[in-house]
Amino acid sequence: MSEVIVVTSGKGGVGKTTTTANVGTGLAMLNKKVVLIDTDIGLRNLDLVMGLENRIVYNLVDVVEGNCRPKQAMIKDKRFSNLYLLPSAQTRDKTSVTPEQMKALTDELREEFDYILLDCPAGIEQGFQNAIAGADRALLVTTPEVSAIRDADRIIGLLEAGETKKRADLIVNRIRMDMVKKGDMMTMEDVQDILAIDLIGAVPDDENIVIATNQGEPLVGSNNLAGQAYMNICKRITGEDVPFLDLNGKSGFFSKISGLFKK
Amino acid sequence: MKNSVVIKGNKYGIMVVLDKDMPFDELKKDIAEKFKQSSKFFGKTSMAVTFDGRELDIDEEREVLDIIADNSDIEIVCVIDNDKQRENLYKQSIEERVSSSVSENSGQFYKGTLRSGQVLECDSSVVILGDVNPGAKIISTGNVIVLGSLKGIVYAGIAGDTSTFVVALEMNPVQIRIGDIMARCADDNSKKRKKNNKPETKIAFVENDNIYIETLNKEVLNDLHF
Repeated sequence: MSEVIVVTSGKGGVGKTTTTANVGTGLAMLNKKVVLIDTDIGLRNLDLVMGLENRIVYNLVDVVEGNCRPKQAMIKDKRFSNLYLLPSAQTRDKTSVTPEQMKALTDELREEFDYILLDCPAGIEQGFQNAIAGADRALLVTTPEVSAIRDADRIIGLLEAGETKKRADLIVNRIRMDMVKKGDMMTMEDVQDILAIDLIGAVPDDENIVIATNQGEPLVGSNNLAGQAYMNICKRITGEDVPFLDLNGKSGFFSKISGLFKK
Repeated sequence: MKNSVVIKGNKYGIMVVLDKDMPFDELKKDIAEKFKQSSKFFGKTSMAVTFDGRELDIDEEREVLDIIADNSDIEIVCVIDNDKQRENLYKQSIEERVSSSVSENSGQFYKGTLRSGQVLECDSSVVILGDVNPGAKIISTGNVIVLGSLKGIVYAGIAGDTSTFVVALEMNPVQIRIGDIMARCADDNSKKRKKNNKPETKIAFVENDNIYIETLNKEVLNDLHF
């Protein structure tokens, strides 16, 4: 049973690529065979977040055009031998690939992998259409901001309207509990109220994510709240029932910080 | 721009105002020109026409109608005399028909949430079993009832019927239009307002050319007449 999952958001900058990298790595930690495909042709950066830029030889467009076999273009991860990355081309644009070609590629990869994760570009144009073409389900990333939520809502509408209705699960990213408590940021309930789809994960805003992203080392599974939140998302994807993290957790990152101030 | 021929729209069709001093042959040319220009705007329609500004005898009227037919895709259904009494009669019969078609208990159901970018257009009243999210739009010729939270844009009675109404379990629309009257939500912080008020079922209706939004209760329902 293999699954093709697209990570999408509509709005840019909400954390699609970071989520793809962390969820992909997390699934690999759970001993699944995973391939990450960067479909953001022309704006390649999943390879950076994974820290694999220097190993790229062939890319997605080469595979689709038949210049190489998928095996040749896929890069094995530094840490996990069951995790692969299929990078996108930097010098081409979204029209280099059609939705049909993407579907054919993902169907081919299904035979070998448990999970195929597609990092979708921002927007709802060709790049988005390419990314969702072969997907079974979607992870919808949003932040608790009105603009991101409006775009996410549009994306759900498009996913529901497609020929094959795709199930979409919500990841609320960059939650700042301190701001939520003060009433300056939407709560997860507010977000869910508008979008009305299942919540699969809530990830706190954490400076460790920025550090990890810049170093090209996904932090999933590490001992901070964000790492745990990503790991829980992975477990939920595999069908495990995991309770949601208490983002106010006593031993959590934020309380440590606020604890410091209280002293 | 010459003003020898002016086309005005009224509720039932168009009124053609003709110059009363110009020689008829010249006027015909102007009519042809005018309708040629506006044929794109009118497109392929059928409507009633009224002449004003100049007395036309039967032959002249026929000639003018031929010109209109030759120069545009408008199908003239009938010519209405510009006579107050008859106009009123006509108005009455049309309004009877229009209002009877709305008050016919026709309606549609839509199940699901309308999301940003989605538009629902209905040729009757409509009941939505779900939310209407910001960025979504409902357009109906009749009433709109939202069994959920209304946060988008809603047009009721789009054909100009101000006796239609909008009901929502949670009334928070960005913009609301009933007939040709429009209202938008206040610019105050919607978040704060939401926190203060418990959601309650509300109705929006038109009175004295203004849209009022009130809590739905028996009194309001009794006052409704449509």
